[in-house]
Amino acid sequence: MGVIGNLDDPRLNFDYSKRERGTVPQDKKRDPFQWVSEVAYKNVHRIVTRGYDTTELVESGYGLPDIIFVDFQARIPLIEETQMLNYLMVLSLDDGLSSPAAIARIAGSSTTLLTQACGASILAFGHAYGAFDAFGKMLDTYLALVENEGKTTTEAAELLAKEHLDAVHLGVSDLMLKDPAAKRAVARAEKLGVSGKYIAFMKEVVAAAQKLSDKPVDLDMLGATGAIMMDLGFSSDATWVIVAITRSFGAGAHWCEEVEREPQRRFGEDLTPKEDYDGPEDRSIPTLEERKKVASAVEYKTPEEWKKGFEEKQKMYGTGWRIIEDVVDPRDSLKKQGKK
Amino acid sequence: MNREPFFRRKTSISYKTEEKTVLRGYNVSDLAEAGYTFCDAMFVLFQQRLPTEEEEKMLEYEMGEFLEHSMSPSAASAFGVISGRPSITAAAAAAVSTFGSAHGPGAAHGYMMHKYIERARVEGISLEEMGKILVDEHMDAGFAVMGMGQPQHLDGDPRAEPTHIKHEQLGINGVYLELQRSIEKHFNARRKREGKSYVAVNMIGAGNTALAEIGFAPNAAWCIGCVTRGYSCAAHALYQMKKGRAWAASKREPMVQMLDLSMIKYVGPEDREVPSQAERQEYAKKQKEEGGWKKWVL
Repeated sequence: MGVIGNLDDPRLNFDYSKRERGTVPQDKKRDPFQWVSEVAYKNVHRIVTRGYDTTELVESGYGLPDIIFVDFQARIPLIEETQMLNYLMVLSLDDGLSSPAAIARIAGSSTTLLTQACGASILAFGHAYGAFDAFGKMLDTYLALVENEGKTTTEAAELLAKEHLDAVHLGVSDLMLKDPAAKRAVARAEKLGVSGKYIAFMKEVVAAAQKLSDKPVDLDMLGATGAIMMDLGFSSDATWVIVAITRSFGAGAHWCEEVEREPQRRFGEDLTPKEDYDGPEDRSIPTLEERKKVASAVEYKTPEEWKKGFEEKQKMYGTGWRIIEDVVDPRDSLKKQGKK
Repeated sequence: MNREPFFRRKTSISYKTEEKTVLRGYNVSDLAEAGYTFCDAMFVLFQQRLPTEEEEKMLEYEMGEFLEHSMSPSAASAFGVISGRPSITAAAAAAVSTFGSAHGPGAAHGYMMHKYIERARVEGISLEEMGKILVDEHMDAGFAVMGMGQPQHLDGDPRAEPTHIKHEQLGINGVYLELQRSIEKHFNARRKREGKSYVAVNMIGAGNTALAEIGFAPNAAWCIGCVTRGYSCAAHALYQMKKGRAWAASKREPMVQMLDLSMIKYVGPEDREVPSQAERQEYAKKQKEEGGWKKWVL
């Protein structure tokens, strides 16, 4: 057999004509693969999470919020902590027709399984809607300034508010000016004696944001729920996913109602009115022969050309070019390490 | 800030204004302030009512039991997904989506119960007799009897029978438990007659029966079971994310990893030469005619 395509190119990392066939033999030098977990195990007769037999837990009167503590924190919570988690889970269960319910309903309108709709609703929690991870990491970053750099909590809160005043994950906004639920949750945490450094810090962030903002703002549900969950000992990502899953029960009810009340959507059924369209005008399609004259390449040879093309592409919606995400700059890390 | 509805539907579940969020008529903040639990709120969500204390206890017990099941298909999904390091929510979503017709098929069991309870009513047969009819009809047809057996807990799921006992102890037993107990009795009686081993009730048979008894519709019950498991799957995924190795294939780990190349066992067609484009049409025609490929079609 001759050479296939470019497979004799000298720049290749090895000789493609001499590649071995067949799968890789099992590695006997290392331990065989097992599902390693420090969360739970089971055998034929037991299911054990963090050392506690789950049937013995429920027979002893422990309930769902207790076992969430056990699973995520490897400890039996105080009664007050369970009460607080119950409180937050009640508040998190449903939020009307917001993103998780909407996604579950859209999935339901295609007659998916309920579990797929519930899974989809969890995916609605991102870094804007239900941004508990971003929120928690932000608090930890600024509280670290207190711990490591000697700033006061007031200074750290002022800096946080200044640098994140318009951020959707600030936890302070104009969303809850008329609804007392967020403040009541914090008051409950204080009454139960489960408030700690996160709630205290969040209060300072609220005060700082109120000073800086040109409109009325106050603690919102993201800020209240996030701070309380972290005072209960949950990490920011645990908080994120616990709240998202809790909301998923509500999404299940919305899936049910969608299936019960609304028509099923068929492939190709939905129309998109032209008045909602603002892309290029309708145009004729060139023949394949005409393509050479009409089509132009977008490969750029210089950074200048690239930049120009980049900006041109940013004028189009739905291409992804308008979305700018940042990645970690290693120079910042080098600076922190004193290497630059 | 645009607070216009994101998605419009007529709904009897909830509404939200600038002042409050209301679930089935109850302000959720007031509900929490009054000391109602999350499990109480689940009855409000799915049944539009507050439960009795016993009903709440049953749900608390069940959700506590459902939450953790160590390595099941759902936890394996969460492990696999998080090894690529997406957001933790993706792992939880995948875990919940894993529940289907084999793993935790709660809704199907519920609908089966409804069908046979209705038949008992229409045909004037006791639930005890109807349990035998259900078992015989399923086994005669070669169908599995839902709610029985678990592939890992060979002597019976350790959670299942205690759930039945709790169901009875709380005094909330009704038609569902009566039918389920009859199914279990006649299922094993028939297996015994056929010289087969005893198979115990599983958590669908026990848990779903109790959920149905306390008023949850088959899909609501399914939602409760599957989504509750999402919490523990998320914990498993977090463990993998924070203490495990991304990609799950590192050679530097002391244990062979889940996606190590040596974990692959291939049982497909033998390695074969790639035909050139010049040979392709003739090759493809011959291959199609010979038909050997058909055994590999999925």
